[in-house]
Amino acid sequence: MSVPGSGDVLDEPAALTLRGISHSYGAVRALVDVDLDVRPHEVVAVVGDNGAGKSTLVGVMSGVLVPDAGEVVVDGRETQLTSPGLARGLGIATVFQDLALCEDLDVVENLFLGQEIRHGPLLDEVAMERDAWRLLAQLAVRVPSVRVPLASLSGGQRQAVAIARALLGEPRVLVLDEPTASLGVTQTAEVLRLIERVRDNGFGVVLVSQNLVDVQAVADRVVVLRRGRLNGEFDADTASYEQIIAAITGVRRDGGAR
Amino acid sequence: MATERTSGGSQSSLREANRARIIGAVQERGSITQIELAGVTGLSAATVSNIVKELTAAGVLQTTPTSRSGRRAQEVSLARNLGLVAGVHVGERQMRVALADVSHRVVAEQRLPLPPGHRGDACLDRAALLVDELVESVGAPMSELLAVGVGVPAPVDVHTGRVTAPWILPGWAGLHVPAVMADRLGIGVPVLVDNDANLAALAETRLGVARGMSTVALVRLAHGVGLGLVVEGRLVHGRRGAAGELGHVLDVEDGPECPCGLRGCLEMSIGSAALQARLAATHGHLALRDIVGRALAGDAACTRVVGDAGARLGRALATVVTILDPDIVVVDGELAEAGEVLLGPLRAAIQDRALHAEPGPVRVEVSALRGAAAVRGALALALDAHQVGVTIGAGALT
Repeated sequence: MSVPGSGDVLDEPAALTLRGISHSYGAVRALVDVDLDVRPHEVVAVVGDNGAGKSTLVGVMSGVLVPDAGEVVVDGRETQLTSPGLARGLGIATVFQDLALCEDLDVVENLFLGQEIRHGPLLDEVAMERDAWRLLAQLAVRVPSVRVPLASLSGGQRQAVAIARALLGEPRVLVLDEPTASLGVTQTAEVLRLIERVRDNGFGVVLVSQNLVDVQAVADRVVVLRRGRLNGEFDADTASYEQIIAAITGVRRDGGAR
Repeated sequence: MATERTSGGSQSSLREANRARIIGAVQERGSITQIELAGVTGLSAATVSNIVKELTAAGVLQTTPTSRSGRRAQEVSLARNLGLVAGVHVGERQMRVALADVSHRVVAEQRLPLPPGHRGDACLDRAALLVDELVESVGAPMSELLAVGVGVPAPVDVHTGRVTAPWILPGWAGLHVPAVMADRLGIGVPVLVDNDANLAALAETRLGVARGMSTVALVRLAHGVGLGLVVEGRLVHGRRGAAGELGHVLDVEDGPECPCGLRGCLEMSIGSAALQARLAATHGHLALRDIVGRALAGDAACTRVVGDAGARLGRALATVVTILDPDIVVVDGELAEAGEVLLGPLRAAIQDRALHAEPGPVRVEVSALRGAAAVRGALALALDAHQVGVTIGAGALT
């Protein structure tokens, strides 16, 4: 019953789908039969306690970890994310908690590290600098200059540079691992607005975080992991903080204990 | 550096555009060095230097010597008269904080997305930190802060400073906003609080589209519905600050139960939850800004939902217009971004239902300050508090 061109979200295929993902480290079952859909134009938050399996899930989506079981579907095609390069090639970009930026290189060098624009045998510095400004302006990222070393930027600005670098490869899905951890409130504000903007530009965003306040501020859906299993999925606009906390700690299931 | 420049019609309009770019860049960042300004604006260092010199002489900018990476540099910030005021607008899903000098020139701002159903104490904690960091970003000590204005999306008793309707923002029920905020800031400055729609009405009357008018109705349509009333140049608060709770007038006889305890409230029909619910079956989960964006892009269902909200709001406003006979109805809040998609049906409904008085139908306009109306009103509130302290007897709006 939809008008052509109305862009119904429900009909839109997921950009990334995980089905029945399980992974163990020796005897420790880190993920057990986890399903996850990430659609374009939405922020899916993955929350859970320490050891709930969040990092393992990030590892699977980024191609760092090959799960023991389960399938990954990218744009309707079943595939194997056997390496980080392959995941990136399929349009899944990940920003890890450590950001993997080089402190003594400047913003342009960091953005284009390993994907430099060349002009014959030489690096096209002018083009890279111009693209860097354009990209940062598009994301409304405020850095004093693209030629200052990373070491002189704030935590929020570094996070923004790492996100901008991930977006350079024009991915479909952006995976963010604890992007607001250890940031002050001004920097958190900047990163949250950046996440909104990335989503509004049509990307699917997976936001992995322990900070429920930040998660609920920008997420469309919240998925809870507990001891490696899915323990609830919530609409971020209508779910209460208490409901989500209950799913994280397992209070509801265990009837009050722990 | 090769950068495209905005082409102007003439030398002077190009220069005007460059000046605007530089002022914009400084305002966005609070303070910035000249070299960084060149990078941000794409202008040459010489051009930046010339324009900064010119604007400094004109009293718009000020420069202070500083150092970057061991080298001497000129830090540029907006020139301000000594003394700052802060404005905080806590909305349902975001918080805006702005800093202005005593001439109400905004020198820095920040916006923070908020979770639904947020709590007052946690929010004010973050608001205080943002104020603190904004003051630092313009290179001023906290002692320069003169007063703080806070706007919240719930009825507030402006005499006691308490949020009076527990069912609107449960996490803020009974909170003494000025005391908590002053405590979090840790400095002894006056903190004033009012309802956000009231503050938006105040700002539009002083600085915006209702400038110079004496009777103004401002409706805020965002996640909820709010109304700010200015009558004969003064804000109307009512007995306990609940004047103008337009979201809780009757829209549907025997309609769904509202958290306020009544049935069929307008907010149950046109609040964000209602709009999202109507679109959920076809569109899945949409944020409020998605609905507005899609309506503007021509999505039929979103256009219908926004237009219908305009019509229902207009019906309620028709009563307000009949009772108050305002000079203007100003529409603010996230839904106002939908422009004529919302305003067309809203105007039609007012014209259908409101008494036709002599000069013709009432003007209905979108807020001129856009999303910033309430935070600008919070700044105005803070400035008033400061000025009342200096010149006794102020109080009228205009």
